[in-house]
Amino acid sequence: MYDDDIIAAIATGYMASAIGIIRVSGRGSFDLLEKIFTKKQPYKHRYIHYGHIVDKNLDIIDEVLVSIFKSPESYTGEDSFEINCHGGILVLNKVLQRVIEAGARLAQPGEFTKRAFLNGKLDLSQAEAVEKIISSKSERALKIAQRQLKGNFSTKLDSIREQILFLMAENEVLIDHPDEDLSSTPTLEKIDILKNIQNQLESILKASEFGHSIFEGVVLALVGKPNVGKSSLLNILTGLERSIVTDIPGTTRDVVSEQFNINGIPFTILDTAGIRKTSDIVENIGVERSKKAIQDADIVVAIFDATRELSIEDREIIKNIKNLNKKYIAVINKTDEKSLINESGLGLQNIINISCKTGKGIDELEKRLSEMASLGIVDDADVVSLNANQKNSLVMSINMCKQIINDVLDDIDPSLIAVDLMSMADYLDEIVGKITNEDMLDVMFKKFCIGK
Amino acid sequence: MIYPKKYDVIVIGGGHAGCEAALISARLGINTLMLTIALDSIGAMSCNPAIGGLAKGHLVKEVDVFGGEMARNIDETGLQFKILNRSKGPAVWSSRAQADMTAYKLRMKYVLERQENLDIKQETVDEIIVEDNKVVGVATNIGNEYMCNAVVVTTGTFMKGKIFIGLNEYKAGRAWEPPSEKLSDSLRRLGLRVDRLKTGTTPRLDARTIDFDSLKIQPGDDEPIPFSFKTRNFNRPNMPCYLAYTNETTHKIILQNLDQSPLYSGMVESVGPRYCPSIEDKVVKFFEKKQHQIFLEPQDERSTEIYADGLHTSLGYEVQLKFLRSMKGLEHVEIMRPGYAIEYDFVDPTQLKHSLETKNISGLFLAGQINGTSGYEEAAAQGIIAGINAAFYIQKKEPFIVGRDEAYTGVLIDDLVTKGTKEPYRMFTSRAEYRLILREDNTQLRLAKKAYNAGLMSKEYYEIVQEQKIKIEETVKKLKTTYIFPNDNTNKKLKELGTEIIKTKTDLAKLLRRTEISYDKLREIMPNLEELEPFIKQEVEIDLKYEGYLNLQKQQIEKFKKYEDLKIPKDFDYNSVGGLSNEVKGKLMEVRPVSIGQAIRIPGVTPAAISIIVVHLKKLSDGRIKNSA
Repeated sequence: MYDDDIIAAIATGYMASAIGIIRVSGRGSFDLLEKIFTKKQPYKHRYIHYGHIVDKNLDIIDEVLVSIFKSPESYTGEDSFEINCHGGILVLNKVLQRVIEAGARLAQPGEFTKRAFLNGKLDLSQAEAVEKIISSKSERALKIAQRQLKGNFSTKLDSIREQILFLMAENEVLIDHPDEDLSSTPTLEKIDILKNIQNQLESILKASEFGHSIFEGVVLALVGKPNVGKSSLLNILTGLERSIVTDIPGTTRDVVSEQFNINGIPFTILDTAGIRKTSDIVENIGVERSKKAIQDADIVVAIFDATRELSIEDREIIKNIKNLNKKYIAVINKTDEKSLINESGLGLQNIINISCKTGKGIDELEKRLSEMASLGIVDDADVVSLNANQKNSLVMSINMCKQIINDVLDDIDPSLIAVDLMSMADYLDEIVGKITNEDMLDVMFKKFCIGK
Repeated sequence: MIYPKKYDVIVIGGGHAGCEAALISARLGINTLMLTIALDSIGAMSCNPAIGGLAKGHLVKEVDVFGGEMARNIDETGLQFKILNRSKGPAVWSSRAQADMTAYKLRMKYVLERQENLDIKQETVDEIIVEDNKVVGVATNIGNEYMCNAVVVTTGTFMKGKIFIGLNEYKAGRAWEPPSEKLSDSLRRLGLRVDRLKTGTTPRLDARTIDFDSLKIQPGDDEPIPFSFKTRNFNRPNMPCYLAYTNETTHKIILQNLDQSPLYSGMVESVGPRYCPSIEDKVVKFFEKKQHQIFLEPQDERSTEIYADGLHTSLGYEVQLKFLRSMKGLEHVEIMRPGYAIEYDFVDPTQLKHSLETKNISGLFLAGQINGTSGYEEAAAQGIIAGINAAFYIQKKEPFIVGRDEAYTGVLIDDLVTKGTKEPYRMFTSRAEYRLILREDNTQLRLAKKAYNAGLMSKEYYEIVQEQKIKIEETVKKLKTTYIFPNDNTNKKLKELGTEIIKTKTDLAKLLRRTEISYDKLREIMPNLEELEPFIKQEVEIDLKYEGYLNLQKQQIEKFKKYEDLKIPKDFDYNSVGGLSNEVKGKLMEVRPVSIGQAIRIPGVTPAAISIIVVHLKKLSDGRIKNSA
């Protein structure tokens, strides 16, 4: 009597904490879990299962705990499970993507609660709230979407919509009005339009990844050799008491927060565990770790120790930053003491002298970070924030666009091209607005002279 | 007088909707009366002399399977038959025939006159008599009252019809026929919302004054295919149409005389169809186009009258003659009847149920142009559904509802009752979401069971169709489980057939999916495959070649059905639902959708609103709350 396909969503919110929960529910949930989880069925009801979420090639995405709830004894009343991830937002997103790739779809606003209600899991007083939840959540989603629809972005969306409608109308006019003396649009012209759509969709996806810096946090990597002051700096930036910082590495292990704000821009620090564990691990693992952090970061803060000569490890970091062409700030710590480092010897620009001990240069660092974070955004006027659902739709629509390019090149039956065009439009529902047959007819009668 | 004979069903109007409604009602054993303004105009083609065309051909074939007459009538009286879109996929193949419009209407009248249970009378209905929101009879212009239990109104363009030729206007239902001046007021008094629409038609020319040698000839198919699956011994002529073109002089004449057009002078304010613009509109809106096509079509095998398709116009007579004579081949043309625009009353179709009965008055059914549509085929499809449902209403049977997933007829009716229309509604294949499944070629396969169960198809035909279905399924199954192997002999044959060789064991279905392979070619590779009749062969090929896309649409239909099955009670109180905007509430209360599926299709109803209603319905069904309405 209603959908029971598998839905998924991040249950803990994007800004919450290092630990995030992804909730999955629907018929066949456990078969889906088996596809992505190292622990195989049977799963035990109300038990927590330890294992790894893996990608298609069985590479590990995250180490997780999965709680199993079998129908009807679950929140929604359906078979469902919750994945407790430990890897922070980026990893959380990756796990969600993996769940979707394995066959789930993103839940609509309030959909878990709706299902719970439809399956009789909520009592009357709780149920009274369901309509409100659905409408308020949808309203919020709508508001966010509307905010996005302003400015440059909206022109871009209009143009995508227009181009899709043109292709649909062009396709349909030749189907439904074969008697008219309309020359069909040349294949190459259609391919151009499709490629243009694809490019624009890809640029929105890209812009949305920039955009997430505003809404989901700029991803920051703090790299440097052991005992250079990474955890001290981390604690300063995250607003923890400076007094707890000592010379002994590892004393700040209990720090949980990995996020901080500068001028309203949230920053997320990558691999805080690694930062805190530096003294415990062998050197080359540390090097690998920092390389990966540089790779994944939006901005790299490379920390050097004024009291020590540049080491091989330092040079490795410099090399990686340059090779990967990353935005960075080079920070020389401990400049309250006698400096053994020559700034020009680093071969880097954008250098700030700081002291975690005295707080020297910290304001300057924060100022530069905020400039750099917003610079990346100002650079690209098309910054957008899309929710996971919209991003997923974008990816699907881009794939469909590629499919249609092949359709057109292969000159397949236009009634089949119509199916693919419609599904591309359907994926873009939430982004460019719903395209109905009536919209298509409007364009058709405007652009093509029909009149037999 | 109150007429002594009481009827069960009265059909008002004898056009394409009225004929189908009256015939099917009588064929279902119901005592039926047709009342028409003009007996001589039964089955008349007011506009173009053609039946079928894109999406319309589908409708004709569906009417045929439901026991209607249109397909058989054109098969008997067509002058030229053609399958359009042959070069495209089977989903959009469409049959069209040029009609001998005189022969067409005479044969239709002949069939009606010989139909058991059917009386036909020439009278104008002025009023529908209703008691306690139930139809009880009709009153006519000559003082007669006919008692009945159900009425099907099929008035076409006749209600308060007004014709415009240049700046002249006069009251008419169709050129030179009187309009129905009072009936729409009667409908208004019954509480129905009535509005105005506009359409137009083209000048009719004298063939003796056309230089056909200078025009491009357009014949029909050499091997014509009939519309009706019942037609045997089909042998019709192949009379050609001709193609003429407007030119820059024509356009100049039109532009210079726009003040002579009631459309541009503001005399006509109602909305005309976008897909069938007047030549004035085409010239103004597509200014950059140097020429427009004009199709010259025969109207009647024995008459010299020629229909000039593509030239809908309401310009004055003098202007019509002038621009016509500016075209090559028409230099000396004489007009026999001028083109005109016509404005008429229609009823907002969102006031109807899917059975085409009005929501508020029991036993009152509307079909055809009165519901805001355009086209003979659209009218016939509604006519047969209204006729069946009027009969079922008398017989106290469940209404006969056709879904969007079953037929174009279902798409047409659902669009009308769900969305209403702002212009004369015409069917397009793009309106059918499941176009790949709702094809012309499989009409009988997809609808026979439904028609048979409703008593609309004889057992004999039903069994024939069942056999065809079984044969198709068996063959598909067989091809999927018959393999060829990559040996020299096989690959040699494949090469000869111009297709790639195989490297592994391959089933025949997979091979048939290749563009260049047909069932006949498979038989060359595997001679022991049995010979099949052309229809079976064609269906097997379509089923296999389009399998992926067909399965996709089948899945979509499954989902569609789930929402259709989620019914909304008739008295559902939208006001008691929290979280719905007033705009959405207003729309829902106007259309009063029967299911969640229909609600989804109402323009402006959001997915969130749908979720909220689903939740509310569940509360109702659990008895957790009460519907306060």
